[in-house]
Amino acid sequence: MGFLPTFGPAELLSQLIVGLSRAMILFVVCAGLSFVLGVLRVPNIAHGSLYMIGAFATYSFSKSLTGSAGFWLALLLAPLVVALISLVAERALFRHLYQREHLMLLLFTFALALILGDLVKIFWGAEYRSVAAPDLLKGSISMLGSSFPRYNLFLIFIGLLVAIALWLFVNKTKIGKISRAAAVDRDMVGLLGINVSWVFAGAFVIGCCLAGLGGALVAPTVSITLGMDHTLIIEAFLIVTIGGLGNMWGALVGSLIFGVTQSLGVLFFPQFAIVFPYAAVVIVLLLRPKGLLKSVW
Amino acid sequence: MKRIVTMKGLALFAVLLAAFLFFHPSGVKAQAPIKVGIIDTYTGPPTTYTYDVRDAFKVAMDEINAKGGVLGRKIEFTTRDDKFKVDIGLSMAKELVMNEKVDILMGTINSAGTLAISEFCKTEKIPFLVTFSKSDKITGEKGHRYVFSITENTVMIGKAAAVALSKKPFLKYWIAGDDYEYGHALADGVWGNLKKIKPKVELVGQSWWKVGEPDLTPYLTAISAAKPDAVIFATGAASMVNAMKVAKATGFAEKIPMFVHTATELSTLAPLGPEAPEKVIGTSNYHFYYPDTPHNKSFVKAFRDAYGRYPKVGALYGYLTAQFIAKALGKAGKMDREKFIDALEGMKIDSPVGEVAMRAYDHQAMLPMFMGVTKKVPTYSFLIASDIVTIPAKDVMPSIEEIKKARGQ
Repeated sequence: MGFLPTFGPAELLSQLIVGLSRAMILFVVCAGLSFVLGVLRVPNIAHGSLYMIGAFATYSFSKSLTGSAGFWLALLLAPLVVALISLVAERALFRHLYQREHLMLLLFTFALALILGDLVKIFWGAEYRSVAAPDLLKGSISMLGSSFPRYNLFLIFIGLLVAIALWLFVNKTKIGKISRAAAVDRDMVGLLGINVSWVFAGAFVIGCCLAGLGGALVAPTVSITLGMDHTLIIEAFLIVTIGGLGNMWGALVGSLIFGVTQSLGVLFFPQFAIVFPYAAVVIVLLLRPKGLLKSVW
Repeated sequence: MKRIVTMKGLALFAVLLAAFLFFHPSGVKAQAPIKVGIIDTYTGPPTTYTYDVRDAFKVAMDEINAKGGVLGRKIEFTTRDDKFKVDIGLSMAKELVMNEKVDILMGTINSAGTLAISEFCKTEKIPFLVTFSKSDKITGEKGHRYVFSITENTVMIGKAAAVALSKKPFLKYWIAGDDYEYGHALADGVWGNLKKIKPKVELVGQSWWKVGEPDLTPYLTAISAAKPDAVIFATGAASMVNAMKVAKATGFAEKIPMFVHTATELSTLAPLGPEAPEKVIGTSNYHFYYPDTPHNKSFVKAFRDAYGRYPKVGALYGYLTAQFIAKALGKAGKMDREKFIDALEGMKIDSPVGEVAMRAYDHQAMLPMFMGVTKKVPTYSFLIASDIVTIPAKDVMPSIEEIKKARGQ
C-alpha cells in the first residue's frame, strides 16, 4: 500500500481551494464568536446552537419557495431569525449576567446551548435534513484538469465579502468604533454618556447573526442534524484561542490555519487527517500562548 | 390538593376493579394478554430507524390481534426509550421484566446496549429479539440461548458487499469511513471477505474522519486525486448522507465508482431527495418496491394506510419480529419461555422479502441482501435502487465454524 498518494499541482490547488472554502465558513462563525468575546467578554457556548438554528431555518425557508429562490431568501432570513432569538436572549437573560465571573457565564451559556438544542428537536424533529444548493452554484467547474464544486468558490467569495464588511463596520462606523472602545474600557464609554447596555445588545446580536449566516452558508454542503452545534463550537473556540481572544482578524487567521491544515492533511496523510488541525493548534499555543494576534483580554 | 386527587383516583380505581371482576367471573388471568417489551432509542437521530421498527411491529400485531391473537390471547406491547444510553437501556429492560412482567423483550439500535441487555436476559432467562443493532458479537461471540437477531450484522454486511464487489472489474480500492467501531468493523468485514474471494484486489489507501465531521469535501477531493478504481465507504447514518451529498456536488460519483452499504436504502435516499448522486452501488435488506410480490405489496399498503409514509428497512425488522413471535407462540402451545425458544429455533416464516429462517445454531435470522445502483426515476421525489440483484442469505451468513471459533469452541 502506497503511503503517499501521487498527485500533481492541480490536485494540490484543488485541495487548497476546498480548505479555503471550509475556512471561510469557520471564519464567519468565529468572527461572531470573537466579536462577542471581545466586546461583551462572554464565552458563548450557545453560539454553536445559533449556528445550528441558522442551518435548520435555512432548511425551512428554502422549502417555502420552489427552486433556487428559496435558498437566496433563506440566506437573507435565517440570520435575521437568529438575530431575533439572540436579541430576546440578550435582553431577557444575558444583560443581567455581564458582571458575573467567567465560570458562571460558561455554565449559563452551556445550559442555554442544551435548551436551544432541545428546542430545535421539538421544532424541527430528529430527522436529517438536506438543503440543495441553488441551481447557479450546483455542480463543479473544471480548472487545470481538476474540478471544484461551484458552491465552494462561492463560499470563498462570501467569506471575503464578510471580512471586508466587518472591517468597514468596526473601523468606519460610529457603532463599530463605540463597540471597539467598549471592548477596551466599558466604564469609560459609559461615562461619555453612551448607553452601554444597548451597545452590548447590538454587538451581541451582530455576533450571533454571523453564527446564523454561517449556519445558512454551510447548509447546502452538509446534512443538517442535531449535534452539529457541538462539533462546531469546539473548533470555533480553538480557532478564536489560537487567533487571539476577541480579535476578529485572529479569527480569520485561525480559521485559515484550521481549514487549510485539515484539507492538506487529508491529501498527504489521509489516515491521520483528523490530527492535523489539532496539532496546529498545539504548536501555535506552545509558541504563542496568548494567540497569534493581539488578544483584547 | 394532591392528596385529594389521589384519594379520588383510588376510589375510582377500586370501583372499576370491582366492576371488572364482577363482569369477568372466570378470572383475569386466563384472558390476560401476552406482553412484549420494546426498548429502543426514541430520541435523537436514531429515530429515523427506530420509529419504523415500532410502527411496523404495531401493524403486524394489529393484524394478529384482529384475528383473535395467539392461543386465544391478545399480544400487547410497551415501549421504553433508552436515549441511546447503555445504562438507561439496561435499567429499562429490568423495569420491563420486574414491574411490567413482560414475557418477551425486543429492541435496540445501540450495539453496546444490546449486549448489556442480552447478558441480563441470559441470567434471567428472558427471550430477547434484537431488531437493529449490527454488532456481530450479538449472535456470534456473545450469543446464547435467549438472544435472537432479526437484523443484519457487520459480518453479513461485509460478506454481501464482498460478493457484490467481486463481480465488478475493480482492482485498486480505497477505503473511507467514520473513525469508530462500526466503521472499522464494516471496512474490515468487506475487505477481508473481498480479498478472500478475489485475491488480486489491492488497497491503495484509506481515509478516516471523525464521527460527525461536518464537511467531507476535502476527503473526497483527496481521494479523487489518488484515482482508485473504486471506493468503499464505511459510514454510519449521518456521514452517509454527507458523503452522498458531497459525492454529488464534487462530481465524485460520476468519476469513481462508490460502494456504500445502505446507500440505496430509503433512510439515506429520502432525506437527500434529488440531491442524491446516481450510480452509487449499495446494499440493503429491504426496499418497499422490491421484491414485487403480493406479500410485500400488502405489507407496504398496510404500513402506508396506517402512517402515510413508505416503510424503510427498520419496518421490515419490526414486521419480521412480530411474525416470528406470533408463529413461535402458536407452535409452543402456551406462553412458556423455554418452549417459545425451542419453537423459534429453525423456524421459517413467509415474509415480504420471501422465506426467512431463524438459524437454530446461532439464532441469526437468515436475511437476503439486495444490491442495487442509485437511479433517478419519475415516479418518486427521491432516487431508488435499480438493477437489483438478490444475494441469498446463505451467501452472507457467517458459517457455523466461524461462529464456533468466535465463541472459543
